[in-house]
Amino acid sequence: MSQPKMNRRDFLKITAVGVTALAGAQVIRRAEASEPTPSGGRQWAMVIDQSLCNGCGYCVMACRAHNDISPEITWNPVLEAGQVGDKKIYLPRPCMQCSQAPCVDVCPVKASHYRPDGIVMMNYERCIGCRYCEVACPYGARSFNWKAFTDPNPAVPEWGQPEVARRPRGVVEKCAFCYQRIDRGLALGMTPGVEPDATPACVVVCPVGARFFGDLNDPGSNVSKLLKARTSYRLRADMGTGPRVYYLSATEESA
Amino acid sequence: MKIRLKLSKLSPWLAWLIGLGVVIAAGVGAGLIVFWKGLSVTNLTDLIPWGLWITIDLSSIAVSAGAFSLCAAVYLLGLKRFQPVARTATFIGLIGYSMALLTLLMDIGRPDRFWHAVVYWNKHSLLWEVTMCITLYLAVLALESMPIFAQFEWLKMRWPKLAGKMSHLHHYAPYLAVVGLGLSMLHQSSLGAVYGVLKARPFWYRPDVSVLFIISAVAGGMSLTVFASMLSARLTRRARVDDSLLERVAYFIGWTLVLYLYFRFWDALSMTYTYQPGRTEGLQLLTRGPLSFNFWAGEILLGIVAPMVLLLYRPTRTSQLWRMLALLMVVGGVVAYRWDTNISGLMIVLSYLPGEPIVGYTHYFPSLIEVLSGAGVVAYGLLAFSLGVRYLKVVNCQEAEEKVDVREKRLAEPATTD
Amino acid sequence: MSKLERLIIAVMFALLAAGITLVVAQAQTPQPPQPTNNITGDNCVACHKDIYDAWQGGAHGQSLTDPVFAEYWNAQGKPGACLVCHATGYDPATGNSEAEGVVCTACHSPIPPNHPTDNLPIDASPDLCGRCHSDPRFAIENWKLSAHYQRSMTCSVCHDPHSAGMKSVAGVINTSADASDLCANCHKDAMQNFPTSKHAEAGVTCVNCHLGFNVGITDVTDFVSAHKAPDHSFMPTLATCNKCHANQMHAPGESVAAAAIAIEESGGTPTPLPTPVATPLPLVTNQPVPVSPFGFAGLAGLLGLVGGMVLSPWLERLYRHLNKEGMEK
Repeated sequence: MSQPKMNRRDFLKITAVGVTALAGAQVIRRAEASEPTPSGGRQWAMVIDQSLCNGCGYCVMACRAHNDISPEITWNPVLEAGQVGDKKIYLPRPCMQCSQAPCVDVCPVKASHYRPDGIVMMNYERCIGCRYCEVACPYGARSFNWKAFTDPNPAVPEWGQPEVARRPRGVVEKCAFCYQRIDRGLALGMTPGVEPDATPACVVVCPVGARFFGDLNDPGSNVSKLLKARTSYRLRADMGTGPRVYYLSATEESA
Repeated sequence: MKIRLKLSKLSPWLAWLIGLGVVIAAGVGAGLIVFWKGLSVTNLTDLIPWGLWITIDLSSIAVSAGAFSLCAAVYLLGLKRFQPVARTATFIGLIGYSMALLTLLMDIGRPDRFWHAVVYWNKHSLLWEVTMCITLYLAVLALESMPIFAQFEWLKMRWPKLAGKMSHLHHYAPYLAVVGLGLSMLHQSSLGAVYGVLKARPFWYRPDVSVLFIISAVAGGMSLTVFASMLSARLTRRARVDDSLLERVAYFIGWTLVLYLYFRFWDALSMTYTYQPGRTEGLQLLTRGPLSFNFWAGEILLGIVAPMVLLLYRPTRTSQLWRMLALLMVVGGVVAYRWDTNISGLMIVLSYLPGEPIVGYTHYFPSLIEVLSGAGVVAYGLLAFSLGVRYLKVVNCQEAEEKVDVREKRLAEPATTD
Repeated sequence: MSKLERLIIAVMFALLAAGITLVVAQAQTPQPPQPTNNITGDNCVACHKDIYDAWQGGAHGQSLTDPVFAEYWNAQGKPGACLVCHATGYDPATGNSEAEGVVCTACHSPIPPNHPTDNLPIDASPDLCGRCHSDPRFAIENWKLSAHYQRSMTCSVCHDPHSAGMKSVAGVINTSADASDLCANCHKDAMQNFPTSKHAEAGVTCVNCHLGFNVGITDVTDFVSAHKAPDHSFMPTLATCNKCHANQMHAPGESVAAAAIAIEESGGTPTPLPTPVATPLPLVTNQPVPVSPFGFAGLAGLLGLVGGMVLSPWLERLYRHLNKEGMEK
């Protein structure tokens, strides 16, 4: 009786160690191989000129109307960002559509995923509302639907008409660079960033023209030219998230 | 006069059941309100999306860690004499994981989509890995608990063949222990890594959070098992324990606490050097700020240091009362650690505007609905364990399968009421 | 348990499961409306009801039915010159219009055959609005002098083209009852100093000086002024100041300094300080909520309890000892 017992115990020990090591190696290997967006094709980016932005909030209202967002949620808040001289500076903050997005890494059901053109999409049918992405986002760009939004949208129709379905209660939502306008515009042969119908609503409505949108992979697009001509910065670039929203600083002269 | 007579006829067991029943009823009511009205009935916000329920979920999984550690000890390290304690731990594990799943069901925004994590995979996500491991481990625990359920008298009478088959599963316990060990090592530490991999939260972003989670889980899980066994043995004759076994386990817990304290010490000390926005404020919240009572009293003094001393010092370890007190303190410390970890990282609001990151603070206190539903889940756990002690002989120092026949004869005698 | 009892219990469980599913399904997405084919100018309302309602309630929707217009138009014998603007597609040769009033196709035409796949065209520039709103009586040519026009802003930055009203930034700023909300929303810098000025205290708002809407309401039943738009150059002139301060301007012969002294000596009115508005506890503060002493008090109580229990035998002995001594004495 003693002999088989010893063998079984040894066997079990070796198996346990082996299985754990194998599983651990798999996990580590996969954790390193995260999926940034492929280069080539289109890479949408947004440029916001802080020397022009006056904090009017038209982009907030247009976004709310076109994406049918509840008044309690803002996908694109306009924040106060200090002063230059005696002029207050504002910073509109859409989703950064990071190329190394923490929200995509942590979503347990892959509801948050990359599109080949760089937009971080939300699959609202798949989201289980665990809010891990909300905790993981360094920019606070995600909002959870604590309540169902059933009332009429106060921003409609003055600021636009809804182009996407309303999200149900219990899912996390965020800005998606108005992919619905981009896709439709491309199908109709328009250029996003140039023709208003193919460009995100916030970019179109800005009364002072502080926002720009376009394809980074196209050297002739307005965003590529702007970023070449002027110094820009991105929020918390040190974290390595690779945001795709660039800001042009307001200086003493330009403000 | 009449009322007093009625109360005196109420046995402690019945009073306990009624008390738990009231709390469970309140919890069920609160849970239904959550399913009906959504998460707006909680005090959770977009800044603090995880609160009391996540803490209960993490703590339930942590204190269920006695199952994998004791089963590993019994079946993989050959310490066969601890098998009765492993049996209790397995049952507690089953209850704990079911409590965690109940809490999670309430906490996710779409409970009707709870199955998505099993069907839609994101292999990079730690939370997915946790969900898969918990689902698989629950199956393992269920299989490991089948021999326990086979002890149910009604089952043995009604379906003796099924009970026999369930009891036979004990033969596979070593294999289940291996699988359980692997799964548990993965998800107990992954639960810590869920916090530890978030660059956005500097206070959480450390590699040792996962290590702290698994060590505290092992300590807390074994403590709850021993404490529950000892408490049941004091309260009812249906629970019988071998005190020498429990004393050995308590000794092991004491040394686990030493290891835990070592890691906690260096973890905290390393954060005091060099100001880092978000991280330094987090430590200050714990050591000097609103969480300082939880940290110093709940986590360190009562959670680690006092029980460590009590469990390593023989006179207090062998004393029933002091040992039970120490074990309860360990469990409390484990819960406090998870609450503090969750809330401290979320309370700090780090600005992402250009320039030096400005740190703001937000606040959270659970709402009544959260407290009631959480209490309901805990009461369910207590009820399940109590029923296990009474009907399934969960706390029993005799070997389960070898002495089945002998125990059958003993139970044929008229049972005395407790 | 009989089969009937079992069935009843099974039905109860089934009802419970169905009820729970129904409750959870409250959170389901509503179905979006399906687009219809065969779009003409008449059935825009089938899909765009919101815009239609806003249009109908505003000046564009009521351009032909407005009672004031109808009264004057009828009184003048229904001249066709009015219909050039007050109707859509008016043909002077035949006297027919495509539609009565300013309808969707007045601005959004031509309708593409495969709408909604293709968008309806719209010219957002002032040229489209200017087709009707450039009547010399509107004095709209002043708009081209304004900094707004020179920065390529369009009419729809301030005006809602459908309801023909002002855009509302309700919820963003709510400081004045007139269109000055909208000015203040973009010109936040000006709003830093203006609210504490004597002008603001007197109830003067942006549009009084910068649009020529003076204290004293424009009579909307006046045929001439109904077509007269305020001065969209936004540039106040001396005449603007004189509309209120005429009697404070120095008369010929008086010196400016003497007039200034007279005003100062009359005391003037103090500039009120802004009243602090009570705000609820902000979600994010710059100091954490202070430590509650109750937790530590509880711990101290617990320690006291433990200490008391441990020390009680000796305390009792001491008490008995003291009592014995007292009794002996």
